[in-house]
Amino acid sequence: MDFGALAGVFIGVVLINNFVLARFLGICPFLGVSRKVDMAFGMGCAVTFVMTVSGVVTWLIVHAVLMPVGRWLGNPEALFFLKYVAFIMVIAAMVQLVEMYLKKFFRPLYNAFGVFLPLITTNCAILGACLLIDMNEMYRSSLLKSTVFAFGGGIGFAMAITIMAGIREHVRFSDVPKPLQGAGITLLTACILSLAFMGFAGIGK
Amino acid sequence: MAEADNSNLRQFTDGLVANNPTLVQLLGMCPTLAVTNSVENALVMGAAVIFVLVMSNLITSALRNRLQPHVRILIFTLTIATFVTIADLALKAYVFEVSRKLGPFVPLIIVNCIIIARAEVVASRQGVARSVADAFGCGLGFTLALCLLGVIRELLGSGGITVMRDWGWSWHLDPKVFEPHAWVIMIMPPGAFLTLGIVIGVVNHLRSRAAAKGGA
Repeated sequence: MDFGALAGVFIGVVLINNFVLARFLGICPFLGVSRKVDMAFGMGCAVTFVMTVSGVVTWLIVHAVLMPVGRWLGNPEALFFLKYVAFIMVIAAMVQLVEMYLKKFFRPLYNAFGVFLPLITTNCAILGACLLIDMNEMYRSSLLKSTVFAFGGGIGFAMAITIMAGIREHVRFSDVPKPLQGAGITLLTACILSLAFMGFAGIGK
Repeated sequence: MAEADNSNLRQFTDGLVANNPTLVQLLGMCPTLAVTNSVENALVMGAAVIFVLVMSNLITSALRNRLQPHVRILIFTLTIATFVTIADLALKAYVFEVSRKLGPFVPLIIVNCIIIARAEVVASRQGVARSVADAFGCGLGFTLALCLLGVIRELLGSGGITVMRDWGWSWHLDPKVFEPHAWVIMIMPPGAFLTLGIVIGVVNHLRSRAAAKGGA
C-alpha cells in the first residue's frame, strides 16, 4: 500500500486545491451557513460524511454497473451518457438513506446534523467531488484514492467554512460600509482567506 | 393579447435587471466565481445555462397540472439533468477546448439553484409562454452578470480580451504599458472573490440610492 501517495492526495485536496477557496465548490453554504462556528462545524461534518459515502457509491456505480452493462452491450462507454442522471439520483437517495439511518440508530448525531442533511442534496461540492473523481484518471483507477479524495474534500470544506465562521463572528462587531454588509464583506474576507491558502501551493512540489 | 405580451415582457426584464439572479438574488454563486476568469468561458457557460433553463422551464410548465407535489423536486432534477447531459455532449462536440476549461462546471448546472428556483417559483405555477419568457430573462441576466465579471477580471488579469481564438476576435491594451503591471491575481481564485464582492457592493449601493430616490 502506497501510503505516501494517499497522503499526497489528502494534503492536495485539503490545503492546495481546497474545494471552497480554490475550486469554488459549495459556495452557497459557505456564504449562507457561516454565521456561527457551531453551525458551520455541523454543516462541515455532515458534508464530509455524505461526500465520502457518495464518492464511494458513485465510483461503484460507474465501475460496477455502467461499465459492465456497457461491455455486455459491446462498448464499455456505451452508457456513460447516463452518468449525470445516475450521480444526482445516487446523491439524493444517499442523503435520504443517511438521514433515515441516523434517525433510527444515532439519534444524537441526527439531532446535530438534522437541519443540514436535506440541504446537502443540492450542495454542488458533493456532486463536484463525484465529477472530479470521474474526470481524473488517477482517482478513476483506484477506489482507495477516490475515497481519500472525497473524504479530504469534505475535511477541506469543513475547515474553510469553520475558519470563515470564526472570522464572521468578529466581523459582526466591526463597522462595515453599508453596501458591503452581508455577502459583500464575506466575499472580500474569502478573498483574503483564498490568498492565504495560495501559500500552500508550494507543498506539492 | 397586448396585456399578456406586456406581462411576459415584464417577466423577462424583471429577471434581466431588477431581480438579476446573480447580483441581486445571489443565486448560483459557484459558477459565477469559477468560470469568469475569461469572457469566453463566461459566454459559453451563459449559453449552456440559458439552454437548460429554457428547456426545463418549458417542460415543467407544460407538465405543471400533472405534477404530484411530493415528487416535483425529483422531476425537476431529472428534467434538468437530462438537458444538462445534452448541453454537455454538444459543448464537447463543438467547442471542446472551452468545455475542457469549464471542467465539472457544465455538469454542475444540475445543482444550480437558479434553475431549480425558477422551476419552483415560476414554471410550476405559470403558463408556458410566461415561463419561457422568465427563463430567457433570468438566463440572460445570469450571462450578463458573468460577462461583467469576466470583462473586469480578464482585462485586469491578462491585459486584454480574447473570444473564440479560432475565430480570431481579440482586443488588447497596449502591452508595453500594461504588461509590467498586469494583475495576474485577478484571473486566479482570490480575484474572483474580490471582484464579485466589490461588484455586489456597488450594486447594493446603486439599489439603495434608487430606492431612496423612488421614496422621495
